Amino acid sequence: MKTILKLVAAFAAAAILGASAQAQQPIKIGIGIAQTGPLGGGGKAALLALQIWRDDVNAKGGMLGRKVELISYDDQTNPSIVPGIYTKLLDIDKVDLLIAPYGTNVTAPIMPLVKQRNKLLMGNFSFDVNAQIKHDMWFNNAPWGAGALAWGGPFLDAAQQLGGKTIAFMAADAEFAQNLCTGGRAIAKAKGLQAVYDQNYPPNSVDFSSIIRAVRAAKADIVFICSYPAESAAIVRAVAEIGVGPTVKIIGGGMVGLQFAPIMEALGPLLNGFVNYNSYVPEKTMTNPAVKGFLDRYSVRAKAEKVDPLGFYLPPFNYAIGQMLEQAIGATKSLDDKVLAEYLRKNVMKTMVGEIKFDTVGEWTTPRVVMAQFRGIKGKDLEQFRLPGKQIIIAPAAFKSGDLLPYDKARN
Amino acid sequence: MRFFLGALLLLAIAAIAPMFVRLEYFYFAGFVVLQFIVLATAWNILGGFAGYVNFGTGAFFAVGAYSAVALYKAVALPLGLQILAGAATAGLLGLGVGLLTLRLRGIFFSIATIAITIILETVVMNWTYVGGAKGLPILRPTEIPLHFTNYTQWLFFVMTGIVLIAVAIARYIQTGWIGRGLRAIRDNEGAAECSGVPTLKLKLAAATVSGALMGAAGAPFAQYLSFIEPSSAFSLNYAVNALAMPIIGGTAHWIGPVIGAILLGSVQQIVTVTISSEMNVLVVGVMLVVFVVAAPEGVLGLWRRYVLKKGDE
Repeated sequence: MKTILKLVAAFAAAAILGASAQAQQPIKIGIGIAQTGPLGGGGKAALLALQIWRDDVNAKGGMLGRKVELISYDDQTNPSIVPGIYTKLLDIDKVDLLIAPYGTNVTAPIMPLVKQRNKLLMGNFSFDVNAQIKHDMWFNNAPWGAGALAWGGPFLDAAQQLGGKTIAFMAADAEFAQNLCTGGRAIAKAKGLQAVYDQNYPPNSVDFSSIIRAVRAAKADIVFICSYPAESAAIVRAVAEIGVGPTVKIIGGGMVGLQFAPIMEALGPLLNGFVNYNSYVPEKTMTNPAVKGFLDRYSVRAKAEKVDPLGFYLPPFNYAIGQMLEQAIGATKSLDDKVLAEYLRKNVMKTMVGEIKFDTVGEWTTPRVVMAQFRGIKGKDLEQFRLPGKQIIIAPAAFKSGDLLPYDKARN
Repeated sequence: MRFFLGALLLLAIAAIAPMFVRLEYFYFAGFVVLQFIVLATAWNILGGFAGYVNFGTGAFFAVGAYSAVALYKAVALPLGLQILAGAATAGLLGLGVGLLTLRLRGIFFSIATIAITIILETVVMNWTYVGGAKGLPILRPTEIPLHFTNYTQWLFFVMTGIVLIAVAIARYIQTGWIGRGLRAIRDNEGAAECSGVPTLKLKLAAATVSGALMGAAGAPFAQYLSFIEPSSAFSLNYAVNALAMPIIGGTAHWIGPVIGAILLGSVQQIVTVTISSEMNVLVVGVMLVVFVVAAPEGVLGLWRRYVLKKGDE
């Protein structure tokens, strides 16, 4: 009898210890995010923001009484390795929740996987990846919503206010740039703008002198550019050297890279006058104590870890992804994908980048792409970009911090 | 006979694997390794046997992938026919490229193959039917053939079949008169020509077969990813790996590329999800340098020297 009692006691103790161990296991959140390749710079900053969120949550005691563990792999900005990474996260690492990679091409390959496995996926600045798959547990944290129109609209509205009638397009032959310019072309057509020049160029081009000369010869009022980081820098330099002619009232629109600190620092005053899309700029109309506090803490760690020291573009939004998960888990007291998705679908998410509501395909219901004009930049001191007045918000109206100046006036 | 029995056994193992291994990650990672076996084997037919270094693996791979995608989109062609179509198109490309460039030798031929990759990538970027530069999402068929429970398992099985066909072809070429002719071209093309070896015909045949196998490896790519876009389909990584794997395994024998691909492909898969993905490319570079310097005949050369004790003859 004594032996039986001992055995029962041992089993009970083991069960209690087992349950306790289960309770102590961290909540695992998995992500594959570019640390190398074309999107590596942005991916590093985004991952740092998520790590800051993880540390903040864990400092508060975690979620559901459990610490948060972030498991990340470098997707190399290479779509072909992403399915392997996400199946590893699910099958080997056994993560509880998933965050999508930064970017569209690297997110698209995992959409069928998450749909097949009924997994919640928090999107990370991708574009339109759920249009065909229609996964009902997809929530993309990107300020442009479900269409490319959010980018081109404010830029072309502003151009028309300055009396622009003719437009020149130049776009990289690559996914994001083509999406952007397709939206721009559609809006320009709807607004009755006359396209006088339209040129695609191979990605990673470095010499834009012939294209800029052609734009100048076309005598366009508006120059809508859809480019990637290295090209954006080369275009700004080419415009500074060759000039686009006196007819141009507004130039820019969709230039990826002009949001990243190293490029902003390298170009300095050459940026003056360009109008470009952004997700966040430190204007008084847009900033708030939460974002400011976050960016202050971010910049200290960013300097130490040698990533984008400004961190305006992606980091606040990646921190916001964490906040959304925190809100959903806190409210539902659950880690079940379906339960969390239901909550995310029905509720307004309160994040430091603003209140977010998702539509039926998991995109922001109300897009708000910021269009800002570089002004008054002197020298190559990076710290000046932290000050208001360097990137004047011309749209959307809710954040407007100044009126658009014609390119010729603003560049000087 | 033993070879074919072994091949059948491997195919049977791939078929029953889902009964024992349920982790989908195994099939995702395994598919990539198998894909590299085909690419390395295909590269070795022209690069290893004939000594013509092809840097355009990405072009042949992508032509196979995009042919399959175009036909799948147009008429929902089944996977088997997509692979045949991809192989046929890439084989024709190999023949065409061969006709245009195989009169060039050495580095000039290699440069021409890089140029072909760039030209074709630009064409695909502007071909909107298959997504152009934006890429094209692919919805996999809802019906999964045979007893497989998900499409990745089926793709793994299909790629195993392609591997066995590719290796069988490489073995046939190596052990037959074609292989002898190609080796003669590699050692001294002028002497081979003077000895009556039909050098251009053999090189064209090798380029066609090599291209077709690379196209066959590329055909299921879009179904594997559920998405296709030019920069990953035409990636230089395919060229680097397809070249590095036979060199590491040994180019003189059909088994060399298989060993190299299994070794390098597996290490890459492990490194990607353990140490760092950045190390992935470094691993290829370091292994390539180490083998070129210390073991120019690859793993096979080491085996011959240290296990069979045959020396350098």
